[in-house]
Amino acid sequence: MAGSPPDVRGEAADLDFDLDLILPRVQKPARYTGGEWNAVHKDHASARVRFALCYPDTYEVGMSHLGLQVLYHILNAHPDYLAERCFAPWPDMEQELRSRGLPLFSLESRTPLREFDVIGITLPYELTYTNVLNLLDLAGIPVRAADRGPQHPLVVGGGPGAVNPEPLAEFFDGILIGEGEEAILEIAEAAARKDRAAALDGLAAIEGMYVPSRYQYVPAGPGPRGVVTPVGEGPARIVRRIVADLDAAPFPTRQIVPFIETVHGRVTLEIMRGCTRGCRFCQAHASYAPRRARSIETILRQAEEAVAATGYDEISLLAFTSVDYRDIEGLVGQLVDRFGHSGVGVALPSLRVDAFSVALANQIQSVRKSGLTFAPEAGTQRLRDVIRKQVTEDDLFSAAEAAFASGWNRLKLYFMIGLPTETEEDVTAIADLVNRLVDFGRGALGSRRSRLQIGVSVAAFVPKPHTPFQWMAQDAPETLERRQRILQQGLRDRAIKLSWTDPAVSRLEAAISRGDRRVGRAIEAAWRSGATFDAWSERFDFGRWQQAFDEAEIEMSDYANAALAFDTPLPWDHIDCGNQKDDLRAEAERALAQGGE
Amino acid sequence: MGQVVCRYRKSEEARWISHLDVKRTLERAMRRAELPLALTEGHNPHPKLSLGPPLSVGVTGDAEMFAVHLEVAMSPDVLKERLNAQLPPGVQVVEAWTVPAYRKKETFGEIDVAEYLVKVRGGGSAEALGARVAELMASAELVVQRGGERPERSVDLRPLILSVSVVEARGEEIDLKMRLKTGSHGGARPQEVLSLLGITDGEHPVRYHRTGLYASGQESPQRPPAPTRRRWTQTRGRRV
Repeated sequence: MAGSPPDVRGEAADLDFDLDLILPRVQKPARYTGGEWNAVHKDHASARVRFALCYPDTYEVGMSHLGLQVLYHILNAHPDYLAERCFAPWPDMEQELRSRGLPLFSLESRTPLREFDVIGITLPYELTYTNVLNLLDLAGIPVRAADRGPQHPLVVGGGPGAVNPEPLAEFFDGILIGEGEEAILEIAEAAARKDRAAALDGLAAIEGMYVPSRYQYVPAGPGPRGVVTPVGEGPARIVRRIVADLDAAPFPTRQIVPFIETVHGRVTLEIMRGCTRGCRFCQAHASYAPRRARSIETILRQAEEAVAATGYDEISLLAFTSVDYRDIEGLVGQLVDRFGHSGVGVALPSLRVDAFSVALANQIQSVRKSGLTFAPEAGTQRLRDVIRKQVTEDDLFSAAEAAFASGWNRLKLYFMIGLPTETEEDVTAIADLVNRLVDFGRGALGSRRSRLQIGVSVAAFVPKPHTPFQWMAQDAPETLERRQRILQQGLRDRAIKLSWTDPAVSRLEAAISRGDRRVGRAIEAAWRSGATFDAWSERFDFGRWQQAFDEAEIEMSDYANAALAFDTPLPWDHIDCGNQKDDLRAEAERALAQGGE
Repeated sequence: MGQVVCRYRKSEEARWISHLDVKRTLERAMRRAELPLALTEGHNPHPKLSLGPPLSVGVTGDAEMFAVHLEVAMSPDVLKERLNAQLPPGVQVVEAWTVPAYRKKETFGEIDVAEYLVKVRGGGSAEALGARVAELMASAELVVQRGGERPERSVDLRPLILSVSVVEARGEEIDLKMRLKTGSHGGARPQEVLSLLGITDGEHPVRYHRTGLYASGQESPQRPPAPTRRRWTQTRGRRV
């Protein structure tokens, strides 16, 4: 009705009424109000199973995660099921909710989370795990699975972090290892069963589903040493769930269009899943193999539908290395032909380090020269061989030459320090490589030389489960800091912009990454002492985490900084990601042999 | 090729989104509606879209304005219908008209007055509030601190407040009407005025609703700085 706002309402118990008071007080209130284009609102009364799909980070981060939208649309497309969304409230909102005793609610219908049948939580990254506990607690659901009763929803997790589910084992009723496009409907079926025990039986019968309460953990020493075995019947190993036919797998083209700016405000099309590059530090192979691609026809159809349904002006082609798609030139050419004139651009977020990639990027970014990113990872050929990063210095320089010739002035390079067998010479070599690239760039750019910018981003090596480097130690913090200083001193040119990950963050990431159920206790202790949003530097408090590990009576260094013997039983040995332990070991031994050890 | 001006309503469902969010929402809806938009020249072509004075986050309004350039002429009623089908419920076009070719393009630069309806609950009796309003309007100077993240600065709100009055009271709930200066030469926000009256947002339930935008001199609540309204069919005859 024009000319008149809705009347102010007075029922004190009403959530809408409370939000009227709360929302003016918090940052970015639209994080909590939903109503976006393509959001789905279904009738709660007629849904047989109701899911709250949660992401343990802010709205802006979670809405850029494709997996959440895939599951959301699969569930909502089904006549019997309903899915709504919820994101981790920022501390200001959390405080408002807690001080008024309000429960966490879904965006679509403002239904309290505890009234849903299933709470589905994405596990994107180790440093979001305190937010997982916080979401449950704000919803009024006991954080430990053992404390939940018939009145509580099933709490199910999944996502990249699930390949080592142990740190979260005691908090979840089920954790799906692997891909969810098919399993999500099986989870819904299981949840439709009348009582909790039957639902857990239903979950346990799903291929790829780990029901932690039906397994026990027996530690075999300090750190990640121990065995997880079934308590009763049930498979000794849980095999990662894989969707056989990616081309036929459901994919949402009616993607939700947020009102507020998110990390990626664009159409995302997954063109390929899996990675065959085999870098020895990287978990991608374990999490996403085998490599499967969608056909050009499917991608073009999805692009057409998604642009029409969202109105975005950019299409991003998602893959570990999109340039490895078998006919990437044909695909990009057809997309540019179809959408170029209407002002819709195409983006390739993951490039290989070579001239072909640059030429391709040039084809689609004829105007927006924002910057190109390459990941040589190490400074010497010896160390690149050790980690099996198949990139040479020639590749890098020819890529840079092509980039400068095509009009780019800005490059960004990713490196890691603390890699297995690394010496200080390898680190000095990073500085040397970058300095030579700066000289080369000045020469190549000629009159544009003053605009040259080389971003250097340095992270510390984190040993990840199910990789050949899972047994390797992360270097002690002092070593990492010393190596960082080598780079700080060696990279002083004004064209260079150096950034790095806090070694304390990398250390915690390593400890949780290789964590077991004892680390889960430390996560709980950290959360109880106030840790949330640990991936946000302004929120990260290493002291709090050290204290939490003390409370759990374990040492962070045993998890992060200890080298493990190849025959050590590992807490994630019961998770089968497709690569066998013997093969990983052989790869690790080859790496050490190449490194001269 | 022609500019269409739209008056739109930002209602309850969208009241927490910012001015920039509204702009993005409009651009995306226009692309979904496949309107024949004229794009800017240059590296990163985008629609030639201008918006009227920003509405603060948390405020609804039904006198909001935007204008867009089309490449091919189109009936404003058809444009409104097609665009509304692609806009979320919280942002809807109420009416649209074409800027005649002989008029200068609409930029909303002349708008400098905004009128608000503010509903307050639990802020005291209507009489007490009326007395505070009278006191406020009688002051010679009303200096407040503005800041947030930036260094704070002092602003005298008094010349920016044209009128404030209690228009209706229903028990605990009181309606206020405010006419405030807005635009690039300085403006007051209804939240600031309410806070001068001793009512803080977030402590009492308050609804802010912008009911009108005017250019100085146009005192009657007619369509804001709209050009003389002509039927699209008439203006078409004037183009060569």
